[in-house]
Amino acid sequence: MNAPDRFTLFVLDEGEAPVEVNEDTKIPNAATIKILKQDHTLGNMLRAQLLSMPQVLFAGYKVPHPLHPYFLLKIQTDGSIAPDLLLSEACNQLIGTLASLEGKFKREFAFKEADGAGLGATGVGGAGHGGAAFATSDDPYGTGAGTGGTASWGNRDDYLDF
Amino acid sequence: MNDPILRIRKYERDRVNFVLENVDMAFANSLRRVMMADLPTVAIDIVEIQANTTVLPDEFISHRLGMIPLVSSNCDVAMRYTRDCNCFENCAFCSIILVLNVKCHDSTTMDVTSNHLEVVPHEDQGMEEAGEEQVKRIEKFGSPVGKNEPGVEPILICKIRKGQELKLKCIVKKGIAKEHAKWSPCSAVSFEYDPHNKLRHTSYWFETDERAEWPLGENAAEEEAPREGEPFDFNAKPSKFYFDVETDGSLGAQEVVMKVRIIVSFLSF
Ligand SMILES: [Zn+2]
Repeated sequence: MNAPDRFTLFVLDEGEAPVEVNEDTKIPNAATIKILKQDHTLGNMLRAQLLSMPQVLFAGYKVPHPLHPYFLLKIQTDGSIAPDLLLSEACNQLIGTLASLEGKFKREFAFKEADGAGLGATGVGGAGHGGAAFATSDDPYGTGAGTGGTASWGNRDDYLDF
Repeated sequence: MNDPILRIRKYERDRVNFVLENVDMAFANSLRRVMMADLPTVAIDIVEIQANTTVLPDEFISHRLGMIPLVSSNCDVAMRYTRDCNCFENCAFCSIILVLNVKCHDSTTMDVTSNHLEVVPHEDQGMEEAGEEQVKRIEKFGSPVGKNEPGVEPILICKIRKGQELKLKCIVKKGIAKEHAKWSPCSAVSFEYDPHNKLRHTSYWFETDERAEWPLGENAAEEEAPREGEPFDFNAKPSKFYFDVETDGSLGAQEVVMKVRIIVSFLSF
């Protein structure tokens, strides 16, 4: 009844900002960034990308509670760039890597399809489903006897409830 | 910048096996997570049961119906989420209707299968102009995967005997697997790295001989075996990942792999 919609776990509310940046008051060049409606998929990837950047002194993320759909990303830089700018730089790098990967997938798939072996020969699911072994029969236990099979109740007209 | 290296080892309609190199583990793992949980498909979401005299209760059948993979090609652009739609409940833009109406008149057990599910148009469909979404749908969009294809065994929903019937209407909606696993296009995603366990990310339990009790997998041939007495390199990081993605047929394996681009939308805040 009063359960929230399940999609509120991954869809931003009306007018909700996806990112909140809170600059740290005690540590220089540090910020805690709250990213809403995202989880480990993005958090861990960003953390790893940030750690690969030379300007970063610290980068870590946590999902404070599994039922709260956001994560916190803590970044400290060496002072040459603000943490939030560095984060957007990390995002751009990841977008670049993904674009490169997408191009490679396209090329490989095109290559495999041109190769001919791709779809035609390997066929499409189906045949591999166990065919005859799983085929329906009127004899579910494969004995033909014992349980009485189907013939024994065949012509009774009770249970006709439509 | 990291430039990934990719090699596809095996490719079928609903299965792809590939090796990804020169990326870090977090990136490879995000790829895996996205393929499993973030790609939209369509699945039966609401079932109106009109008659059920089978041995299975309504809830049981509804649950089974939800799990049936439906053709979802191009789903991200060919369908709206109901929450983004401006209709009152559901309409031709954000849902598909499937009906099933089966009675058994024979004196043998009858199988009610996914082949009995028929796509029917919405009542008001065609009254208004077809939206841009519908134009992008393929002919079979929303019908059960493999329906009436030769050699494809249909999915069993229920068995009925003489005199029993099952009549229902299903509303098919678009969703992602974070909401319910029935919307996952993947039936299995395998992910492996460091087949020789050089990085010691795991420790094997064994009776007497670790090597004899833990035979190496296929992927071990791709990497150099550790030398006898080789010192442990605690700085080493995994960089070669072995994926095998198998889909339930709702999306093809190629489509699943190409759609990982959806992460870009997460990154573009
Ligand atoms: Zn609608």
